[in-house]
Amino acid sequence: MVEAGTHEKGDAWVLIEPSERREVIVKSKLERLYGNAIRETIESMTSNIKAKIVVEDYGALDWVLRARVESALRKYRGEQQ
Amino acid sequence: MKLRRTRLYVPGNNPHLVENVGLYEADCLILDLEDSVPIDQKFDARIMVKYALQHVDFGASEKWVRINSMDTPFWSKDLEEVIPYVQVVNVPKVESYEELDKLSEKMHEIEEKHGVEPRKIVPIIETLRGLVNAREIAKHERVVAMAWGGEDLTAELGIPKSKALILEHVRAEIVIAAKSQGKMALDTVYSNIRDEEGLFEYAKRAKYMGFDGVGVLHPNQIEIVHKAFKPDDKEIEDARKIVEAAEKAMQEGKGVIALNGRMIDKPVLERAKKILAFAEVD
Repeated sequence: MVEAGTHEKGDAWVLIEPSERREVIVKSKLERLYGNAIRETIESMTSNIKAKIVVEDYGALDWVLRARVESALRKYRGEQQ
Repeated sequence: MKLRRTRLYVPGNNPHLVENVGLYEADCLILDLEDSVPIDQKFDARIMVKYALQHVDFGASEKWVRINSMDTPFWSKDLEEVIPYVQVVNVPKVESYEELDKLSEKMHEIEEKHGVEPRKIVPIIETLRGLVNAREIAKHERVVAMAWGGEDLTAELGIPKSKALILEHVRAEIVIAAKSQGKMALDTVYSNIRDEEGLFEYAKRAKYMGFDGVGVLHPNQIEIVHKAFKPDDKEIEDARKIVEAAEKAMQEGKGVIALNGRMIDKPVLERAKKILAFAEVD
């Protein structure tokens, strides 16, 4: 299991853990407005991995979300700190 | 002329603080990967900074990143992420010319890989060894300015920073090292962000010590420092006359510049141009 980001305002927190099936869970107060856009970003960056992906959004802009997803993905693939 | 009167430090792993940096109009913005980022966030921070450099509007501010010092395992990974998008690499605790050469070699490797222009370096002198070698360090071709910090230095001497008389000597040495190589000299931060009068006096003092700018920790400090570095009306008027006389001499094909019967030599003209740059008039 790896994680990236923080729970601070304007940020996003991303968790990736190995799983038998692919699962994407998005939690956001702005789900109604941005839920689909957030899912699209996650999908475009992680579609090739079979894992459980949890994203908690705290009002992150798209580039912030991308940075956090990339960070989590690279850790998941074994890149060292 | 590029001004570096203010350089605002912004924690690199805090997107909320990074988002609006371009609005502050600092001459330089430093996304920090060093002191403001805890060890367990270094990985996330350098990726965040890579994205910020590409997506945040920096306005007219120069894009800097303060990487981790070369005695940590982080500096080369920091470079890998930021070099394609940064303008100036701010390097803490630099102690020798050789160290900068090693850094420069790594930067060159990444620049070649990404097909980007050579990036500039601003080393921060923070130790006695660094201070002793400051004049050599300033000679490095990538160095555009010299900065300094007093915490480690006073800790090495075992004296409290607030009472350290030696820091006046350190300031002078940084100015001499930088200016003797035609580089800028940048003073350290004024850490009391609520003391506006104190900051104004501090920045004025830095200016007359020979510094070209100071570090800032809060956006509210920017305008005060810019005001402190602004020349007074008489300085601006005199400078304008000198520059006009030089332009006139050039148009008339004269090799000698004269103003009110006095010859103006090159350093005087250069100083006049600098005053006008600081006055924000060309």
